[in-house]
Amino acid sequence: MPTGSGNGEISIVGVTKRFGDMAAVSDLNLTIPDKAYCCLLGPSGCGKTTILRMIAGHETPTTGEIRIGGGPVVGLTPVQRGTAMMFQSYALFPHRSVLDNVAFSLKLRGAGKADRHRQARELLAKVHMERFADRLPAQLSGGQQQRVALARALITNPRVLLLDEPLSALDEYLRLRMRGELRRVQKELGITFIHVTHTQLEAIAVADLVVVMAQGRIEQAASAREIFTAPRNAYVARFMGGQNVLSGTVESAADGQAIVVDEHGGSFSIVVNGEKPVRGSRLVGSIRRDRIAVSKAQGCAEASDKLNSLFGEVHAIEYQGSYVKVTIERPTGEGFVANVLDVDFFRDPLDIGDRVLARWSAHDVLMLEGASDAGEASMDEAGGVLISHA
Amino acid sequence: MKAKSWLASWLQVAPVALILVLFFGLPMLVVVAVSFFDYGQGRLYPTFIFDNYLEIFASSVTVRLYLSSLKFALIVWAVTLLIGFNVAYFLVFHVRTLLWQIGLFLLCTVPFWTSNIIRMISWIPFLGRNGIFNQTFMGLGVVSQPMEFLLFSDFAVVVAYVHLFTLFMVVPIFNSMARIDRSLIEAAYDAGAGPWRIFTEIILPLSKTGIALGSIFVVTLVMGDFYVVKVMSGGQSASVASALSTEISQIQYPPAAAAAIILVAIVTLMVSGILRLVDIRKELTV
Amino acid sequence: MRQAAGPRSWTFYVFASFFALFVLFLYGPMTVIYILSFQGPTGGLTFPMTGFSFRWFHALVTAERVGDIGGSFQRSIVLAVMVAVLTVVLSVAAGLAFRRRFPGSGVVFYLAIASLIMPGLFVGLGIAVGFQLLGLDIDWYTSALGAQLTWTLPYGLLIMFAVLGRFNRAYEEAATDLGATPWQRMREVVLPILLPGIIGVALFGFTLSYDEFPRTVLTAGTRNTLPLEIWAMTTNVTSPALFAVGTVTTLVSFIAIGAALISIAVIERRRTRGSGNSV
Repeated sequence: MPTGSGNGEISIVGVTKRFGDMAAVSDLNLTIPDKAYCCLLGPSGCGKTTILRMIAGHETPTTGEIRIGGGPVVGLTPVQRGTAMMFQSYALFPHRSVLDNVAFSLKLRGAGKADRHRQARELLAKVHMERFADRLPAQLSGGQQQRVALARALITNPRVLLLDEPLSALDEYLRLRMRGELRRVQKELGITFIHVTHTQLEAIAVADLVVVMAQGRIEQAASAREIFTAPRNAYVARFMGGQNVLSGTVESAADGQAIVVDEHGGSFSIVVNGEKPVRGSRLVGSIRRDRIAVSKAQGCAEASDKLNSLFGEVHAIEYQGSYVKVTIERPTGEGFVANVLDVDFFRDPLDIGDRVLARWSAHDVLMLEGASDAGEASMDEAGGVLISHA
Repeated sequence: MKAKSWLASWLQVAPVALILVLFFGLPMLVVVAVSFFDYGQGRLYPTFIFDNYLEIFASSVTVRLYLSSLKFALIVWAVTLLIGFNVAYFLVFHVRTLLWQIGLFLLCTVPFWTSNIIRMISWIPFLGRNGIFNQTFMGLGVVSQPMEFLLFSDFAVVVAYVHLFTLFMVVPIFNSMARIDRSLIEAAYDAGAGPWRIFTEIILPLSKTGIALGSIFVVTLVMGDFYVVKVMSGGQSASVASALSTEISQIQYPPAAAAAIILVAIVTLMVSGILRLVDIRKELTV
Repeated sequence: MRQAAGPRSWTFYVFASFFALFVLFLYGPMTVIYILSFQGPTGGLTFPMTGFSFRWFHALVTAERVGDIGGSFQRSIVLAVMVAVLTVVLSVAAGLAFRRRFPGSGVVFYLAIASLIMPGLFVGLGIAVGFQLLGLDIDWYTSALGAQLTWTLPYGLLIMFAVLGRFNRAYEEAATDLGATPWQRMREVVLPILLPGIIGVALFGFTLSYDEFPRTVLTAGTRNTLPLEIWAMTTNVTSPALFAVGTVTTLVSFIAIGAALISIAVIERRRTRGSGNSV
């Protein structure tokens, strides 16, 4: 039976995992509250699956400690930890029926046939798969297999459920449906869920706690809203995709705002609150894409940009239903994206090549930590969202 | 941690390793040792002399035997390669459904479920003076007399070898070809390659492993054969191994052992030559 | 190049005819044997058929001038079963070992390949002389068994390599996740899923042993296996009884292999299409 107090709080302290010379995870610290739905989010190779497997007990940390419910678990089997895992490929035993798959762990513990079948059927009913109890996994669709895999994991009464990219094998429509299902089941059961994904919108849709990772380290761990509206650094800002990153040298600072000038003469202000940035130092900020007003530039004053505005040529236009994604070319090469509401866009539609002026309000620009180029190079390598273009 | 998994592997592989050492490794060492023994009147005298080897090297019979064996090996290799390659190609690239592929493949393997001895002698009523072949051809008026060369001749030996060993060429080549990614062929076709170019640039190179493996099997089987050549040639032809088996039956173990070692050395050279083309461990293991 | 559908190119017909000829080549001689085994009582070793009779099959059973067919047949079957069982158990274990890199794995691998390629006559020679030097008797269930294993184990190993290569390790992790001990994992998940491959190894072991000649000829001792008995018959026996032996022995092979293949097919079918009952 599980060690510790019995609850599903997870604390990861100073955990490093090395494979040969390569460190998949470096000195990681994270606390996941009991009964939370936590998403580990990041591109391939960021270490999120490694952490999941270490919590599950399928990998052992090279150094560091992992506790569940207060009790240390390194070296314990998954059952002893009170965890259960749902595998990316589902790994349903092909030689057993759906019912026997779900009842498997009970059989291992020596439960009688009638008893374990009864419990398995109850759980199958919870995931709406009781009709398929006698089928073989090969006869099920992807979504159906996933529900069976869920039932099979839950029958062990885990305090933590670990999901390894549970939705990536499904098509888009099923994905959207199933994530609601996962959320519902988690609330109903009242246990901790840890869900690994590389899809940003999926993470913020389901999670209480979003942990954005890159190259074996945590970039930011916060609520979904905070991750999206107040990213901590340029990496998170770029990865989540809802922001534009601005950077430059500090010229002056007053009234909680710093005036920053970039290499191309553009200037903008960043909300710094109590911080006192040194004149001449580099500062990075972000502005939400949906807080930008875009208008055609024919009638406007050109050459020098005013504060908190940007002059440029429309490079790409992408219709996204309720808004239109307009990418404006910047001298730096990185695109500047404005999400324009569809009613606003179609009032006076833009074309590629149009000269436009983008403006935003000073108090919408938030300060970011760290270097301005964080996330650009690493995203190239990881194949993540690529903003810059030739 | 690592040592623990090594221990598990060692325990699991120990029985196989033990049997291979006891019944293959050690016996081969015994053969090496015996090749240096003296003998006479049906008895072995453990000692260390080179006489057995010297006699073999000095004898002109040796050269003749090797030429004979090598001749058969080369001819049989060429014929089985030709047949095997075409059969494999047909099965992989011209047969459309998996069911037919498996079915036809099984069709080819079924004859191999019968003992080699029986399959070999089944050629006798076929090729003999009164056999099917001769009766058919005489009946058709193609020849007026039975063709003697069909049986108890080198021709019969080659026919029997090909009959027995072609499958050893088909299977590896089939495996290699089946693993070729079809999209490679489609990409080449897209780029404008004709059938011949596709064959020489894609199919042939990617079948190299299968051809090498099949060649190794066939060559070693022919070089090591002692009964097919004896029976099918009616005793006229000999191979190194058949001469060896005669010595064994006369309890002349040391010269037989020496001949065996030399044959193994030569076959090993041939196999190494073929292995330069492919890394079999990578191809065969997980 | 392969066309996905539609009319066949002329090359198809060329290859198909070639293939047909090949099949004819393979089956022709055997068919002759099967036919000739029903040779009339007065007939000889070749055509023409003087009649149709079971006389020669009868001769096998009554052992008139045909050697010890019954005894050697029995020994061959028993030996083949022993070899099949040993090959399965040992190959599966060794195959599992090779899933990790361990010191010595290269040695064992190349030893197995060498054993596969080595002409059987020499292996037999080494074993026979070795036994003699040690003062042991060679016999069909000791020295011949060992000799045949040097032939079947490498094949079994190679098959296991192929089968294990396709095996998805997530099944094992899922079993561990659900609380399985290593032994439970093996019994409940790994072995059942590998079953078709294991049957294949057993099949190989059985037929390779049943038909084995070069390795066995020197290591069987005084009591022959069937192939050895047949070999002796090729020089002694001058009647179609030899062909009758051929027919019968082929039949046995067919039954064994047929049984194995059918069971594999049944298992595969149950896993992919059948509804399967709860166990």
